[in-house]
Amino acid sequence: MTVTPAVVEEEAPAKKGLSFKFPPEETEMGIVAGIIGAVIVIFTGLPAVIKGVGLILVLLWGMDSVRKTSKYGLGTGVPSIGVLGTGYGVVGAMMGLAVAEYGRVGQIYPAVLLGVIVMGVIGLVSGAISNSEKFIAMKIPRLERGMMELGMAGTLAILLECSIVTGSLNFNAVVNQVMNTGLIALMFIFNCFAMLHPYNACLGPDERRERTRMCGVEISGLVCVLLGFAQLALGTSPYGPLDAVSMIVFGAIIFAVFFWKFIKTCMDEAYETVGTGMIKTIE
Amino acid sequence: MLLIVVYVVIGGLLACLAAHLLPVGGAPAAMGTATGIATGTVQIMLGAAMTGLFTAASVDTFTDSILLVALSGAVGATIMICVVMFMANIIYGFGAGVVPISGRVDVDPITKEPQAPYKTPQTDGHGVPIVVFVSGSLGGFIGGFGGALMYYTLLNYAHFSAGTAAIGAISIFVANAILAAYNIRGTIEGFHDPKFKRLPYALVASFAVSLLCGIVVSLTAVLGGTL
Repeated sequence: MTVTPAVVEEEAPAKKGLSFKFPPEETEMGIVAGIIGAVIVIFTGLPAVIKGVGLILVLLWGMDSVRKTSKYGLGTGVPSIGVLGTGYGVVGAMMGLAVAEYGRVGQIYPAVLLGVIVMGVIGLVSGAISNSEKFIAMKIPRLERGMMELGMAGTLAILLECSIVTGSLNFNAVVNQVMNTGLIALMFIFNCFAMLHPYNACLGPDERRERTRMCGVEISGLVCVLLGFAQLALGTSPYGPLDAVSMIVFGAIIFAVFFWKFIKTCMDEAYETVGTGMIKTIE
Repeated sequence: MLLIVVYVVIGGLLACLAAHLLPVGGAPAAMGTATGIATGTVQIMLGAAMTGLFTAASVDTFTDSILLVALSGAVGATIMICVVMFMANIIYGFGAGVVPISGRVDVDPITKEPQAPYKTPQTDGHGVPIVVFVSGSLGGFIGGFGGALMYYTLLNYAHFSAGTAAIGAISIFVANAILAAYNIRGTIEGFHDPKFKRLPYALVASFAVSLLCGIVVSLTAVLGGTL
């Protein structure tokens, strides 16, 4: 795949200040998002907005892994790998929540990270099997790493969402407020979309990582709005309804800013933008 | 605890087998140039299995028989996939104006009807012909059975709540269906397709992943205090 960001970046968007290069590299992105996400997951007493920042980082990491894996062509469409990441994420989050009580100090749950590690191992195994010549033979470079990162990012994202909605990571609280209310289905689908949609929408010969990531942040903003409404409806936040409202406002601002940025970048980088007006009649 | 792992592995293997039996058309089918339903393996399988879970969950409220719950899931998934295939045929036949024809075999293995003369040149078949329909119904049945089996296991042996059991079953099911989808690579028609011979590779992969997932789920049940 001939993605040459080094050349393209120097053109239009750099001048107009529309470039978006927070952690510039894929490996750095993984490390930064993984560490920040893990720290925010452990400390469940934080306000929802900070958890929202962690969620955006983690989803961006997942989106990066999807992009990295599927730019070689999976043969089954980009959505499959995003759904795989979320599926692993739910299993890993269940594992993490089950062990959350062990080693708990007040509102700090370090044991949930066990679920993240276990899912990393399962992702590594499935990636190795899919890539191995003896079994499925996908022959995608670095598929093992991509699947491992997907499992970890998916787990962190689901754990963060549970933590935002319930305000803690207690197994029974999460089961009552997330699983039994059916919110988990919404989380499943929204997580899938935050991970798979940006690359699915932007892929093509002229795909550029920064532009794709703007789309990713935009969808994560929408996820934050949804989670804010869920939190408001359940009324579980330790800081009262203000916490949920700030989450909604934060998500809406992120969505608006990055939607504008994304559309602007698309228009700048397109060969020509022609307004066609309303639907025309055939002449 | 061993029972949970065994049933999860069986469910995962059935999901993997079912994904190979479904008529997956992908993007070419959306243009009417390939046999099958016009979307990827995962979407078809997820739709069928979720419908199966709904029927299984409602049957589960008034029976304790694992066979009955699993069979009801299978029936739900079969009905879903049959409706989808039937509607696809109506759209292809009366909307796009193509006859349902298989692109991979010259003679239908079930009805012995010739296929090749009716196929539009340069395409890979159209719609959902009889052999593909039979294969797809079988796939829906097996997939729904596997999904409902996992749901029943997580609900009644691991003692999860209904919501947790459903989402856990769906997640493990999806992981297995996607490994199968990677093995298929694009489109497949059913058991008569040459790609069906690649099934053992996917089954090995699916076995490994469902075994790990089963262990994780049973550990969750033990450590979470539900078992």
